Amino acid sequence: MSKGIPLAEALARYRADADIAPLPGSTDIDTLLNTYHPDHLRGSVVKLAVGANAGDSCQRELAGLLQAEAFIDEADLAGSPVTDIDVLVIGGGGAGCAAALAAAENGARVLLATKLRLGDSNTVMAEGGIQAAIEPDDSVQRHIQDTLRGGHHVGDPTLVSALAGDGPEVLHWLINQGMQFDQTPSGDLHTRRAGGMSTPRLVHCRDYTGLEMMRVLREAVIQHRSIEVWEQSPAVELLSNEVGQKCVGAVLTSLNNGQLRIVRTRSVILATGGLGRLHLNGFPTSNHLGATGDGLVLAYRIGARLCELDSFQYHPTGLVHPSHLAGKLVTEGVRAAGALLVNGLGQRFIDELQPRDVVCAAILRECSEGRGVRVNDQHSGVWLDTPRLERAQPGLLEKQFTSLMTRTRVAGIDPRVEPLLVHPTLHYQNGGAVIDANGATTVPGLYAVGEVSGGIHGRNRLMGNALLEIISFGRRAGAAATADRDRGPKKVTLEHVNQLRRALTLAGLPMTQRAPQILPDYAAGGVWNR
Amino acid sequence: MTTSNTTANGDDQAQSVALTINGLAVNAHEGMSLVEAAWHGGVPQVTSVGCLEGVCGSCRIMLRRGKEVTVGLACQTFVENGVEVVFLPPASAPLHHYEVSDFKDGWDIQARFQDIFPEASRCRHCHGCDNACPKGITVENGVALAAAGRFREAGEAFFECVMCELCDAACPELIAPAHVGLFSRRVTAHFHLRPPNLIHRLEELRKERMENPPKDRRKKNNED
Repeated sequence: MSKGIPLAEALARYRADADIAPLPGSTDIDTLLNTYHPDHLRGSVVKLAVGANAGDSCQRELAGLLQAEAFIDEADLAGSPVTDIDVLVIGGGGAGCAAALAAAENGARVLLATKLRLGDSNTVMAEGGIQAAIEPDDSVQRHIQDTLRGGHHVGDPTLVSALAGDGPEVLHWLINQGMQFDQTPSGDLHTRRAGGMSTPRLVHCRDYTGLEMMRVLREAVIQHRSIEVWEQSPAVELLSNEVGQKCVGAVLTSLNNGQLRIVRTRSVILATGGLGRLHLNGFPTSNHLGATGDGLVLAYRIGARLCELDSFQYHPTGLVHPSHLAGKLVTEGVRAAGALLVNGLGQRFIDELQPRDVVCAAILRECSEGRGVRVNDQHSGVWLDTPRLERAQPGLLEKQFTSLMTRTRVAGIDPRVEPLLVHPTLHYQNGGAVIDANGATTVPGLYAVGEVSGGIHGRNRLMGNALLEIISFGRRAGAAATADRDRGPKKVTLEHVNQLRRALTLAGLPMTQRAPQILPDYAAGGVWNR
Repeated sequence: MTTSNTTANGDDQAQSVALTINGLAVNAHEGMSLVEAAWHGGVPQVTSVGCLEGVCGSCRIMLRRGKEVTVGLACQTFVENGVEVVFLPPASAPLHHYEVSDFKDGWDIQARFQDIFPEASRCRHCHGCDNACPKGITVENGVALAAAGRFREAGEAFFECVMCELCDAACPELIAPAHVGLFSRRVTAHFHLRPPNLIHRLEELRKERMENPPKDRRKKNNED
C-alpha cells in the first residue's frame, strides 16, 4: 500500500468548492467485488479440517482459532471454586443483557459474566438506530423481504420472520425499560430510511441509539434482584457432559487475578459478540476491544455448527486519522445525508449509497491503484467530503451528527472545514453459530444470540437489524433457556476438548496456537498475560 | 498494513513524551491517547479499556499535572510531558436500588425518587460533579432538576452521559448523579413515551394473532 498521493499534496489540492466531474460509466459490480473485497482476497479463505463444519470455507485467521488448542484441561479444574446457577449468560453487551433480563423475568437465577465491564460492547457504539416496521405504509412482510434481499438471499427465512415480527414488541419492551427515542412533533416515533430499506424503518435516539440502549439495559441488569454480574471474567472454555455432547456450564477466569472458576448450569447463553479485534486480513476495526471471537471458538469446540465463516462486513468509512480513532466509524448516515467520497485526485469513483460491500471494494480499488491519499507506508484512504456537505446544508453536521462532532473535536479536527480521511474497516461478522428461532445452537444446553450467532443477516447485514436482533433473540433465548426443565448437570467434564484434540491430531494439525484469544495482542501486554 | 489500530499515524518524527502511568515511567509519542501510551509502554493490569471512542466510560483515569488533579477518560486524553496518570478501578456497585417495573404509575414518582435518592436534595453546590464530567454535562443542574421533579429536563441534561460514574465518585454527599440522570431518563420514557404509530402497529399485530393464532408455537419445554 505504498502507492498513492501523499497526504500533504492531497490536502493542498483539496477544495470544498471544486467542481466534481460526474461518475464514470457503470462499474461491473461482480468484478469489483471479486477483485477487491477482502472476502475474496487470494489466500484469505481456507477449508476447515475438523469439527462440525469440516470441509466448509472459513476465513484463514479465524480457521486457525477454531482449530486451536484449549487453554485448560481436567487438571486445571481440580480445586477451582464451583458456582451453581440456573442460566449463565456469557457477554455483557445488549444481547447478553436482554437475555439475562428475559431469563430473570421468567424466574431463573441468572449469572452474567463479561470479559470487561458490563456494557463494554459494540452495542454502545451503534449510532444509526434499530429497525422495526411501525410506519403505516410499512409491514413486517416488507421488513422480511428487505432483510433477505440485503443478505443476498442466504439468510434463514424462519429467523428473519421471527426478527421482523418481533420489531414493534421489542420497541415496546425497550420503552418499558426506560429507553428514549426521537419523536416527531405529533409524538410518533421518528423513522429514517437507510441502505437496503424500501421504506423508512430506522427508529433512533439521535446518533446515540446504542449508547441510550446500553445504559438503560445495563442499569436494568444491575438493579435486577435475580441477576448476578461478574465483570472482568472472560470464559476460557465451556463444560460438557460425560459424552461431550451437551453444554452444562463454563470455566471463567479473572482478568484481575487469573483465578479459574467453574459455573455449572442448566443452560449457557453465548452473547460474546463479534471478532473485529482479530483484525482479519490486516484490517483496522470499528469494534470494541473485547471483540475477539471467543464465542465462536468455544461454540465450535463443543461441537456447534457455524455458518458463513467466510463473510464479513467491512464498513466503507472507517477513520484513518487521527490514530487513536483509527478504524472507528463515520456513520453511513453522513453519506445518506449527501456526503461524497473523493479520491486523492479529487474525483468521485463510486455511487456512495451502493451497498457497503460495493463501496468498500471501490475504496480499496482506488487505494491499490494509486489514486488514494497516502499517509505512510501502511495507511492510505480516500476523502469523505464533509466540508462540501456543510456548504450544501449549513449546520447539518452539528445538528444531526453530535457523536461524530464530539469525537473529532477532542482530536482537534473540524469535519466542517477539512475532509475526513477514510478507509474500509472490519465491522461485523455476518455469520456465526447456527441457531433456531429460540436462539438454540445445534448443541443441547447452548444458546447463541447477537453477533456470535448466524443465519439472520445472510452475507450482508442491513443497518439497524443488529440492534433489533440482540433484543429480539436475546429475549427469545433468555425465555427458552429458562424453560429448559433439565435438572442440571451431574458431572461436568472437558470431554469435548479431548475429542477435539484427538481430531486435531488425526488431521495432523499443529496444536501450538491456543484459543480463545480473549484480548488482542497489542493490548494483552497491558491487560492480561496468558 | 499493521494489525494494530493504534500505531502512530506515520509521524515518524513524532516528539517523544515522558509521563508516568500507574507509577511506571512511559515514553510515548506526541498525539497518542493515554490508552495507546499504556499499551506502548507495556503497563500491566490496565483492565478497564473498552470502546476506544469515548462512549463506554470504562477507561477512567486520574491525572496530576503539578498541583492540579483532574479525572477523565484515557481514550480521550492525550499524552503530555510530566503528567502522572493512574487508571482508576471500576466503579463500585450502586447504592441505590429500584426496578422500573415496581412503579405503578407516575403520580407518586417524586416521592419514590426522594425515597430512592434521598441525598439528591442535599447538594452542596461544590461543582465536583461538573468538574469531573468528561462530557461537559451540567451535572449539578441536572441533579437539581431531578430533585425538583423535572425528570424530562433532568434526563435531557444527561443526554451525553456515558456512565463513567466519575461524578458519583466526586460527590461528597454520595448523590450518584449519573444514576439520578439515568433514573430521570428512564421514568420519562417509561411513563410518557406513548408513540401512536407504534401503538397502532402493536394493536394490528395483536388482532392478527387473535384471528389466526400461530400454528407452530413450539413451546416444547412448557407442555410436558
